[in-house]
Amino acid sequence: MTDERLAARLKDALRSGDASAAETAARKALEAQADPLDLIRNVLVPTLTEVGKQFQEFEIFLPELMAAGDAAKAATVILEQAIAAAGKASSSLGTVVLGTVQNDVHDIGKNIVSTLLSSHGFRVVDIGRDVAPSAFLEAARREKAEIVAMSALMTTTRPAAQSTIRLFEEVEARDDFKIIVGGGSIDAAWAKAIGADGYAPDAASAVDLCRRLVGR
Amino acid sequence: MLSNWQTEIVKRSEIGPYLPEAEFERALTRLVPELVRKHGIHYDPQVLIPSDDDMADRLYQAGMDLFLEMGAYNMSTERRILFSRGEVEEAVAAAPSAVRLGEGKDAVVMCWRGVESQVPCVVHSGPTGTPCSERYHPLILQSCAQEPLVDCLGAGSVSTYMGRPIIPGSPLEILGVQRDAAAAREAARRAGRPGIHINDVASPLTCAGKMAALHPAWGLRRSDALLVSQLPELKTNYDQLSRAAYLQAAGVHIVDLMTPLVGGLGGGAAGTAVVTVACHLLGVMLYSPSYHIYGHMHLLESTDTDRMGLWVYAVGGQALARNTPLLTTTAVYTQAGLGTEEVLWEIAAGTLAGTVAGMHHNGVGATGGSTPDHTSGLEHRFYAQVAHASLGVSRQTANGLVLEILRHYEGSHKDPPPGVPFPQLYEIETLEPLGPWLDLHQRVLDELAAMGLDVHGAWRKVRRERGL
Repeated sequence: MTDERLAARLKDALRSGDASAAETAARKALEAQADPLDLIRNVLVPTLTEVGKQFQEFEIFLPELMAAGDAAKAATVILEQAIAAAGKASSSLGTVVLGTVQNDVHDIGKNIVSTLLSSHGFRVVDIGRDVAPSAFLEAARREKAEIVAMSALMTTTRPAAQSTIRLFEEVEARDDFKIIVGGGSIDAAWAKAIGADGYAPDAASAVDLCRRLVGR
Repeated sequence: MLSNWQTEIVKRSEIGPYLPEAEFERALTRLVPELVRKHGIHYDPQVLIPSDDDMADRLYQAGMDLFLEMGAYNMSTERRILFSRGEVEEAVAAAPSAVRLGEGKDAVVMCWRGVESQVPCVVHSGPTGTPCSERYHPLILQSCAQEPLVDCLGAGSVSTYMGRPIIPGSPLEILGVQRDAAAAREAARRAGRPGIHINDVASPLTCAGKMAALHPAWGLRRSDALLVSQLPELKTNYDQLSRAAYLQAAGVHIVDLMTPLVGGLGGGAAGTAVVTVACHLLGVMLYSPSYHIYGHMHLLESTDTDRMGLWVYAVGGQALARNTPLLTTTAVYTQAGLGTEEVLWEIAAGTLAGTVAGMHHNGVGATGGSTPDHTSGLEHRFYAQVAHASLGVSRQTANGLVLEILRHYEGSHKDPPPGVPFPQLYEIETLEPLGPWLDLHQRVLDELAAMGLDVHGAWRKVRRERGL
């Protein structure tokens, strides 16, 4: 059971986006014999869910979201080390390989998804923007990903999402991964038409979708 | 003082301070709120068009401080391109305060206007940032070009070529761009305005694709323009700089496109206004543009007609108009779809805010530019009618009007009416707007007139003054 005072200190550090304070709070909680998995599940994830909702409602903006994400990352590193040291399984909900499709250089939306997925317990491998289909495939295999997530902002770049799925099919790797799509130029109909496993209209829904796909 | 910065920009791109992109972004997120505090920039959702000259001047200084501190980020080299205050101030002072757009009888002069100015706005039309289908694109272009109150034409974008998706960098991109440029030229001819200024062909993503739009006979000419883009926030790359280099040498107008995101790295309205001013300075230093597109956008909704978006137009426009000779333009992106009353009210709000702040107008993108064929000539006629009716209106009066206009659409902004595409609003044989779309246009005009805006008469005065 986590000391409520220490949990509150960690929550405050996350909400204010103070990475150094979050790291200290996580260490203090561990010194007080808190269960690191309990801290992740019952402090980090709900706090970042709340921060994500505030962002979705535009009560806070991207800088605050990024800072909260950075703080959560700093705390997670400490807590994951404690989990590993105790010989327990990682708290990760699964690995998501994330990128913006080929020829698309827009990445703010993708970065928001990355922040929210990480802070909800996913291991995110962000392979950047303008990512070739083969690079998605290579990263998915290398990282043993559960999910491949593609973003496309422009109508002229969204066909690259289709090309990427086709490549996975061609090399018979399609069934090894769940593939999801999102971004300004994509809607549910297009996602269905190209054979994606899911579509998320915004970052918060991307988290829900990934949780559903990994059964959590 | 240099007239062509290209060699110096490349040099600074190669030897400027190295900084990973994520760190550049985090540095920006820390600096912007400091500058907002230091310069006392306050966003008030009840005063969307402030009459505070001093705040406008402080905002300009905040934008200048931001640009000088951060510089421009070259994503190709991961280095910052830095400039001294003296260099920026000289380049801004030397930037064009008037440009001739188009040729022959169809040319217009876009000149510096100033806050609450009586100087008429130049009004561009679509299809602005809204994708079109291959089938309707030529008709949409002609519907815009044939509008007498529209001064310039945007060639827009089509994402297929003969039914095939256009793959950027492939031959289809070149062929698609050439088709779209030719379609705009042909629309201008059919409208009886062969010399109208054509502002960009938006289909291509690559530098080669962009340049393929240029051709003296059937494509874009020196009297036309192509866009060179910034990436949010304060970023560029060699691809964009190469476009600017070619266009400068070819003598084609360059348009500096920026898309600062409200709620993005700059934070809320005040921070985004600071970023937007800095973006204009970046445009001047890197691209030497004829004019700018002030294309800020709500991070989650891709529109600029919410309260924060309108305030950013009003206050940033004033900051630039009071402190620079720069020519900048609105690009009104609405939540509502075409053919709805809400789309017209959103356009009215954005146009009023921009006009009294000293801006010109670059076009309308209904549905935030996301739904194909949601663009036509009639809403651009309306755009011009409101712009001309807003000439000389005081900021205080405009603020009252905008708050009243907001009542007509703010309630549905989160769940906007989807509207209908072009073929359901126009008779596609005759290219005349259909009755219901015309009636709606007339009704909103009448309501604006009842609020005190001279939407029925002001454009006539502008035409007379221009000798048309």
